[in-house]
Amino acid sequence: MTESIGSARLDRRGLLRGSLATAALAGLGGTLAGCATSGGGQVKQETGTKSADNPFGVPDGSTIDAVIFNGGYGYDYVQFAADQLKKKLPKVTPKVTPSTQIAQELQPRFAGGDPPDLIDNSGAGAMTFNSIQDQLEDLRDVFDANNYEGTKISDTLYPGAIEAGTFGGKVLEVNYVLSLYAIWYSASLFKENGWSVPQTWDEVIDLGAKAKAKGKYLWVWGKEAATYYQTLAMESATKAAGDDFRLPLENLKPKSWSHPAIQNVFKALETCVQKGYFKPGGAGTQFTKAQAQWSNDQAAILYPSGAWIENEMKDQTKEGFEMTGAPVPVASTSGEAMPYNAIYSTAGEPFIVPKGKNPAGGKELLRAMLSKEASANFAKTKLAPTIVKGGIPDDAFGSTALASQVKMLNDAGSNTFRFTTIGIYGMNTDQLVVWNNFLSGKIDAKGLTEGLQKIMDKVADDPSVKKTKAT
Amino acid sequence: MSTSAASTRATASGTTPRRRRRRWTFDKISFLAVFLGVPLIIYVVFVISPFIQSIYYSLTDWGGFSTTMNFVGLANFKELLSDDLFLTALRNNITLLIVLPVFTIVVALIFASLVTVAGSNRGAVRGLRNSSFYRVVSFFPYVIPGVVIGLIWAQVYDPSSGLLNGVLTKVGLHQFESYPWIGDERTALAASIFAMAWGGIGFYMVLFIAAIRGIEPELFEAMRIDGAGRWKTAMHLTMPMIRDNVQTAYIYLGIAALDGFVFMQALNPTGGPNNSTLVMGQVLFRTAFEHGKYGLATAMGVALSIVTLAFSALVFAVNRLLGAERDVAR
Repeated sequence: MTESIGSARLDRRGLLRGSLATAALAGLGGTLAGCATSGGGQVKQETGTKSADNPFGVPDGSTIDAVIFNGGYGYDYVQFAADQLKKKLPKVTPKVTPSTQIAQELQPRFAGGDPPDLIDNSGAGAMTFNSIQDQLEDLRDVFDANNYEGTKISDTLYPGAIEAGTFGGKVLEVNYVLSLYAIWYSASLFKENGWSVPQTWDEVIDLGAKAKAKGKYLWVWGKEAATYYQTLAMESATKAAGDDFRLPLENLKPKSWSHPAIQNVFKALETCVQKGYFKPGGAGTQFTKAQAQWSNDQAAILYPSGAWIENEMKDQTKEGFEMTGAPVPVASTSGEAMPYNAIYSTAGEPFIVPKGKNPAGGKELLRAMLSKEASANFAKTKLAPTIVKGGIPDDAFGSTALASQVKMLNDAGSNTFRFTTIGIYGMNTDQLVVWNNFLSGKIDAKGLTEGLQKIMDKVADDPSVKKTKAT
Repeated sequence: MSTSAASTRATASGTTPRRRRRRWTFDKISFLAVFLGVPLIIYVVFVISPFIQSIYYSLTDWGGFSTTMNFVGLANFKELLSDDLFLTALRNNITLLIVLPVFTIVVALIFASLVTVAGSNRGAVRGLRNSSFYRVVSFFPYVIPGVVIGLIWAQVYDPSSGLLNGVLTKVGLHQFESYPWIGDERTALAASIFAMAWGGIGFYMVLFIAAIRGIEPELFEAMRIDGAGRWKTAMHLTMPMIRDNVQTAYIYLGIAALDGFVFMQALNPTGGPNNSTLVMGQVLFRTAFEHGKYGLATAMGVALSIVTLAFSALVFAVNRLLGAERDVAR
């Protein structure tokens, strides 16, 4: 009897031990089951006959499967284009699906050889471009086709729109939204205090002292967006030195962060940190909260960001704020590679067409989006310009931010530049660590330079990372 | 242990048959098929096969978005050992593994003792007054999902408008104005651990209350008659009697600490100041979805599960060394 009780206890212990192991394995299995390939090769591509109304040959009765990032711009603008397409090709069914986690949702479909026909690969969960670029359709024929109004699409676009999606000579993305980067401020607040927008870094530091006198900070930052200051520095350095700075950096060359042009900017930012012109605590503040400290509390007066800032902070902007953008400061207003008015302007919101079931359908939906009507609809509802010219009236729908964008684009003329490959290696998260340290005053400009270079060298030396040459 | 088990089994099946030989009837077979076969198949399909699959993927250079991959052997694991980011995360996970369970269990045990046996010294052994109220209140946080707890505490720790700095500056500690609790390397991990423990204490408290309730009240009374105070009672009676529960709690908390992904992602999605709150799960996630290196990420998953298994084994071994067998087994 005693023995059987003893063995019963043993069994219970053994069982517990086994179940713990199982729990551990189940945890792992659960995590990775999502990564398992479902097998199967490439899906058979559907084809139809091409015609003037159907230049890519979308097959009758086919479905166009579009997965659209549901972020700052929503996805209804693609649905609008899909409805236009449906009017043109009634036998085709466009299906627009929103997603906030593009990579997690689509990775199994790519791995299983069944990707959607059109993807807006955007947001924090976007797929690394590097890992999918071999599976994408060349989209040059979209730009060569006529739009719904009968004009050749490439003739209707802002300059640089096609180049923004060109990689190694192939057009792999259609970047739909025209975006530019600037420093943003409240025109009403600046007017009230008699401040002028700083054009050089010396003026920035002077303005910092003036703001401090009013109990305000010059800059503010949030932990997930600390690298906005990296973009700011890169823009300013590119205006100073042009491709001499930009190309080594984008091609991951050693010591590219040590270029004198960017070192000047780092030094100026270091001065701002040391003088206490950055609102403290940013490394522990969520970035939209930090942005609200600028747009709502007006605790800080300047913020470097892209043109999406107005839409992003719409609900948290003070009444009468008059959000306005200005080109980023330069080291000096003369003797630089580009004038002060030059801006970093590029097309964003990358739409891609994988080599899948119905690539012609994906291209056709893009053609619908690039029509005058769909693009005007976007400008009106999202307060942002698309790559299609026109569509924004002189009053910019009453938006000071949009009006200042149009002004900056006009002032810059042909003096626009863009970064081509810096974003495709997934370095941002690592860089955030270094930038948060720098903006908190934990490291100086030298430490910042070393930290950023180390991250870049790691990618450059990693043979498993496919490099794309920047031009 | 195992030898006695083996001998028991041997006696049952061989030399001295106590029972008659089993006869395979249709009932018996169908019973086994349904109650043993089906779960086994489900287990093999959904647990074992992904596990084997992931071991295979961890030995390849799979990029995640294609159907092709090359077999690279142990190269991924070699890379892990030289990847400073992964090693930082591993170190953070181990810190979590040591601190989180100890902190949570100690606090939960104190609370559990308070509401069960720490009441008045007169009359029957009972908890503090209104203990049922405290019990319910302290269970609340466990009902909230981890990600929400993370977000709540991220707000509490907010440097400019957070509750914590608000209270601290109100009581005159002005050095905490704009102090970034989860944005400063010195406090980020501790603050995150506190938030994780806050979410778990209520559950473990209820677990320990149930265990303490299982101890015969006479034992507490005897202890009290012998003149033992609360501390002695807790150390010499409560603790040994609920040892198995503490061990279970430790293992579950340890597994939670080795994961920690949900909390850390909600508190500090970027890994915290100088990566001081980065956990392996976050590195895995980043490697897969941001860098598109699924093979390497899978190797991280395999490494994570090895650490988890090693941890469970360690807890059992330590518990046995500390004399679990000598204590009353119930």
